[in-house]
Amino acid sequence: MSASFPYLGHGVGLRTKHYPDVLSGTASPDWFEVVSENFMIRGGRPLAVLERARAVAPVVLHGVSLSLGAVDPPSASYLDALAALAERVEPAWVSDHLCWGSFGGHYAHDLLPLPYTEEALELVVDHVSRVQDRLRRRILVENVSSYVAFRHSTMPEWEFLAGVAERADCGILLDVNNVWVSAHNHGFSPEAYVDALPPARIGQFHLAGHQDHGTHLLDTHDHPVPEAVWRLYRHAVARFGPVSSLVEWDDDVPELDRLLAEAELARTAEAEVLGARARSA
Amino acid sequence: MPAPALRELQGAFWRHLAGAPGDGTGRPIAPALQQVLVGSEALPAAARLAIYERMYFWRLLDVLREDHPRTAAVLGDDAFRTLVQAYLGRHPSEHPSVANVGRALAPFLAANPPADAPPWTADLARLEWARREVFDAADAPALGLDTLRALAPERWPETRFAVVPALTRLVVGWPVQRAWAAAPDDTAIVLPAERTALRIWRSGFAVYHAAMSAREEAALASIIAGAPFAVVCDAFADLPEEQAAAEAAALLVAWVEDGMVCSLDPERRGR
Repeated sequence: MSASFPYLGHGVGLRTKHYPDVLSGTASPDWFEVVSENFMIRGGRPLAVLERARAVAPVVLHGVSLSLGAVDPPSASYLDALAALAERVEPAWVSDHLCWGSFGGHYAHDLLPLPYTEEALELVVDHVSRVQDRLRRRILVENVSSYVAFRHSTMPEWEFLAGVAERADCGILLDVNNVWVSAHNHGFSPEAYVDALPPARIGQFHLAGHQDHGTHLLDTHDHPVPEAVWRLYRHAVARFGPVSSLVEWDDDVPELDRLLAEAELARTAEAEVLGARARSA
Repeated sequence: MPAPALRELQGAFWRHLAGAPGDGTGRPIAPALQQVLVGSEALPAAARLAIYERMYFWRLLDVLREDHPRTAAVLGDDAFRTLVQAYLGRHPSEHPSVANVGRALAPFLAANPPADAPPWTADLARLEWARREVFDAADAPALGLDTLRALAPERWPETRFAVVPALTRLVVGWPVQRAWAAAPDDTAIVLPAERTALRIWRSGFAVYHAAMSAREEAALASIIAGAPFAVVCDAFADLPEEQAAAEAAALLVAWVEDGMVCSLDPERRGR
């Protein structure tokens, strides 16, 4: 797997607010993650920014509309567009989410939750396999934050996610914040989630902030990474070793320096955990 | 009652979100969904589902407002929100990219004008959508004035010019470019009902629009149709011949300076 999902260090998401930094050449993170759908266009500023970004750092394509868990297979035209973009961008890898977001040809533009059943597992495995065959590369599948669970689920989310990765032979993008949010909302142990995933499948971490609404945590990507998520990140690094990480910040986006400082916190935390692990070995 | 199959579950979930988009304040939950949702004392199942209802509606409301900021300002928050609720109920997103969700908003607005909205509101939305489409249209290097100047005078009549892909034309019933340029808090805009032809284009990364005279509209139509410059000059046929050629040339220079022209093709002469 390491050959498929190389270690890139600690990146940031490419957001509109930082386009001037990219165009002026002052942005130089370890790597950029870009939202695939935002660049499935014909021209203009976004594509020019993307070209400049890939000239200074590796780029990764992160989709939101593959809808791997929808009952209908991923759209052929969407896959064509994604394949064309991947050919143009030559991303270090391609990722999307363990969820559904479309039904009957319509899109919710949200990451909707799946029941964790054998029926859903077989369907997601089939869809991931189709995508990988079309793209001729293995992809990473990311766990999402969720607010509802289904009574007829027959396995916990981590078992479902690991099952997808093993059966479809794909990687896992472990969103540490999403684990924390969902664990809080559904009452499971976030550490148990992390501990149940197969280390060889982990290709990337996501880090982000969320909001506490009292009755639930909401995955908002509009805050710094909170301390609880950093603790879980340290736990994940201790288990999985060095894995490329990315700080997601999508609303109330700060200046690039602030975002890069957040990525530096990930680098420091990783170094501390790996240093301590090496000393105790 | 057995657990629903995945298709039944997702269908019920989707209809709950998209059937009547809004804030998620207690709309009834279909039995197929109700029976399988897990709630808790702190957060009952209906409240959990309502989180998704709000996220679905608010996200798309935000996108539509970002793509139609002047239209939203003219209508005001409440009317724009009501419009979007009705629009999404009839036109759920059909494209993987959320950027396309507003594709049918202007025609929907024209067919379903909110009470008290100015009659030109839908035309303003059409202008905003045209600008959005030009924003990420295909690139093409714009022709420089030097290239134009280097064209020998005798070759002008037979030369055909091509416009950049990031150019579109729009004919509306009111001069909505004035409403577009007004301050966002100016709610007292009055426009005369008059046919208005606009060109909307991108130069570099910036999107522009401008109203066209009848002559410019006709000349641009000729250029886009692939006519040689001599035919483009027909748009000025009511003027003396020399003046017509001079005004047509001045118009072409202005288009080149605006970055609207991407190539000239004297080699197509005689085809």
